[in-house]
Amino acid sequence: MKNFYRKVAFGLGPKDKVPSDPLKWATSQLNEIPEFSWKGKILPEKELRNYYRDYVYGDRKVLRKKFKNDKDGYKREKNKLRHVTGQKFWWNLELCIRHSEALKSETPVLAKLWYFWGNHFAISEKDFLAQYTTGAYQREVIRANMNQNFEKMVQEATVAWTMIHHLDNNDNVGPKSQEAQWAKEKGRKVGVNENHARELLELHTVSPDCGYTQEDVIQMAYVMSGWRPNWGKKRLETGDVHFNGEYHQPGTKRILGKKYKSGRKSLSAVITDLVNHPSCREFIAMKLCRYFITDNPTKEMMEPIIKAWEKSDGFLPDVHKAAVEVAFNYSEKYNKFQNPENWLLIMSKMSDVELVPTPKLMDLYTLGLKPTHEQRSLEYLLRELGHHPYLAKQPNGWSDVSDDWMSPELLIRRLVYAKEAYYKKNRKSQTNEFYEEMVEKNYDNPNEILKTINQQGDLSNRHVMLFNLPETLKS
Amino acid sequence: MKISRRNFLKGSATTLFLAGFNFPVLANTIKKKNLVIIMLRGGMDGLCAVPIIGDKNFEKRRKDLILDETIKLNSDFALHPKLKNFYNLWQNNLGAIVHATNIPYTKRSHFDGQNLMETGGHIPYAIKTGWLGRGMKLGELKGDGLALSLPMPLLLRGIPSNDNFYPSKKRLPRTELLQLLKSVYADKSEHDLANMMEIIANRSMMSSGGTSMSRKNSSLAYKAGLELKKINGPRVAVFEVDGFDTHAAQGGVNGSHSDSLIEMDSIFKSLEKGLGNEIENTLVLTLTEFGRTIEQNGGRGTEHGYGSAIFMAGGLLKKSQVYTDWPGLKKKELFEGRDLNSTTDARSVYASAMSTVFDIDFNRIQKEVFWGDKLQNLSEKLFKS
Repeated sequence: MKNFYRKVAFGLGPKDKVPSDPLKWATSQLNEIPEFSWKGKILPEKELRNYYRDYVYGDRKVLRKKFKNDKDGYKREKNKLRHVTGQKFWWNLELCIRHSEALKSETPVLAKLWYFWGNHFAISEKDFLAQYTTGAYQREVIRANMNQNFEKMVQEATVAWTMIHHLDNNDNVGPKSQEAQWAKEKGRKVGVNENHARELLELHTVSPDCGYTQEDVIQMAYVMSGWRPNWGKKRLETGDVHFNGEYHQPGTKRILGKKYKSGRKSLSAVITDLVNHPSCREFIAMKLCRYFITDNPTKEMMEPIIKAWEKSDGFLPDVHKAAVEVAFNYSEKYNKFQNPENWLLIMSKMSDVELVPTPKLMDLYTLGLKPTHEQRSLEYLLRELGHHPYLAKQPNGWSDVSDDWMSPELLIRRLVYAKEAYYKKNRKSQTNEFYEEMVEKNYDNPNEILKTINQQGDLSNRHVMLFNLPETLKS
Repeated sequence: MKISRRNFLKGSATTLFLAGFNFPVLANTIKKKNLVIIMLRGGMDGLCAVPIIGDKNFEKRRKDLILDETIKLNSDFALHPKLKNFYNLWQNNLGAIVHATNIPYTKRSHFDGQNLMETGGHIPYAIKTGWLGRGMKLGELKGDGLALSLPMPLLLRGIPSNDNFYPSKKRLPRTELLQLLKSVYADKSEHDLANMMEIIANRSMMSSGGTSMSRKNSSLAYKAGLELKKINGPRVAVFEVDGFDTHAAQGGVNGSHSDSLIEMDSIFKSLEKGLGNEIENTLVLTLTEFGRTIEQNGGRGTEHGYGSAIFMAGGLLKKSQVYTDWPGLKKKELFEGRDLNSTTDARSVYASAMSTVFDIDFNRIQKEVFWGDKLQNLSEKLFKS
């Protein structure tokens, strides 16, 4: 049963009391969205987007022209511009905020679910989104809606600037729109871009299981045409997302057999129908089970989550509680292979690794400078582990299937960075007693585990062993 | 100019003739042959990489994306001007192309498409192993796979103990600790983990540690070439190149599609360098989930399409040629009125390649790797036996 603490959170740290009612401990964390436990600076997405703006404008409109014939000068100035706009700093700060929720907050279960949703509505590697706005998007659009209905999260994520940019909806123009007319007169050609429309159906809501067709995707793209950033000479593509009717495809659209009138309100109306489609709740229930419990969820596991969804109209705290309860009920029978980031956080929490740089150190950063090694440590580490949450390869996010994390290189990283982590611990926790107590608290078979790791004489090697045992890799 | 429908790849009588018989394989047991697959993720634009010459339909629909100074391959097809290393191979009869081909997937999702290009199946996510892994299993090539990436690609799944290489900058723990972990995994029946740890323990014994290597595909390809060259080294290597999904700013010669093609091209070059003479016994093939629409979109990019092309390199090729049963680019000849059609199931090429390199009868591969799907045996047309 103790694997439950690692399954839905990150295990118990040295200061955590052993809960008398584990299930209640977990579900009581899911009602509200508390303030962030990070005590340093937190910037709003809009402000970070302004840094993105300064970078793209400065690069595209200033430096490229100024250094047209001077490749080296261009390179040098562009590097300066990177630092002036904090390109190597902000995502590190975001990771500090993110990881503090797992390690320092009273709500680690909520944090683990936050990571789930951030990955569900993934922003994959594109342009410089990861460096500037992905983390803030995950705070302001994803986490902030975790005490709302699923529908609200979809509505907001769909028109979030980062998402619109990520999935090219700014290039999605109705072929019969006013803009298309004007473009034609000027000899330009514009048209529909299906990318965002397809992912809204496939990844964010109903999934291909619901049986939509290519025509449904095109119709969805028509509905979405016109949702784009407010373009400006100085802002370029970084303005707020709004609905611009001049880019919108006129006429009635038909998606999954239902008709929608043209205009601003149609996107929201379609989303309402998508989130209420049975395939949507089945898809989300399956994904929650896959994240917490097993690579191959069963119908029986999904059932209580789907029921909670139906009863509460997709109210996320209820859906989350149902998922956590299912995870609890199956904790004896199933162990879930932990992805590298969650594994790192489990190790850091249980063995008291000072993973996250202090707010003081991070707030020392001054724009224009290159951040120090310490200030950049998290971003580097996650990349090395093969699992940077803002750099998923594709819009479907990082895999939660264990086979995808099983390879010599990926396991090598867990070995070498477990060792590194040991030396980041404070001296007081580098004792046998500390490890005995921790193993007792977090595992159902403490004697067996201690016997195994004690075959290594050196404590740092025992640490490496412990966090690479099957019991830890799979929780 | 209008080119006529060709029949380079039409019908293969041997497929029928051999069906049902299990002929003894005429294997050359001395020669070690290698198969390298380069996965091009995002949808490689076959019409950008290997454009057709003088087709009005093409020029009209792709106004802003037509390339200048392409390299002429024959009277019908040209090559993207940045693919210099591939062209070098071509000139030495070490490069060839199959055009208007794709896996039998006609929808347009990257995730479904990439899943199917790796599993070789028909229903996304239904198959948990890769066609290459299953082919290797048939050839009893356990421990002979090498992926040059951090995650283990699905393509290689289906046979245990594959290696991957994507160098870490840190030293491994002592071999003794690794051996201990391996035995713990084995005791707990964690066979996958035990297999992995075996590979890691071996690597720790082999490596001197310390030297950090670049992770660029060009450096990885050189390293892979050296490994493939060894008589007891891996026989299969898999690369990944991202970034082919150019919905916007696909650009011409210096656009974003070119960047990804150049990365692919650098793999050809470094592999050749690492392999030395063993390039003669090697076959390199590319693999992508789909091509891109003929028509450019509003952002001077292209959308997800259907038919694409396969680049082939190495000494196991018969000769330099563009093999195709060209479907044409008139509206009615296009797939769903918008994409280059696929007239060759790309899996026929991969099945034939495995038959050639692994010395397995084509029909066995067809039956056991691809569930008896209707595939053509192209081994004799494309490859040296």
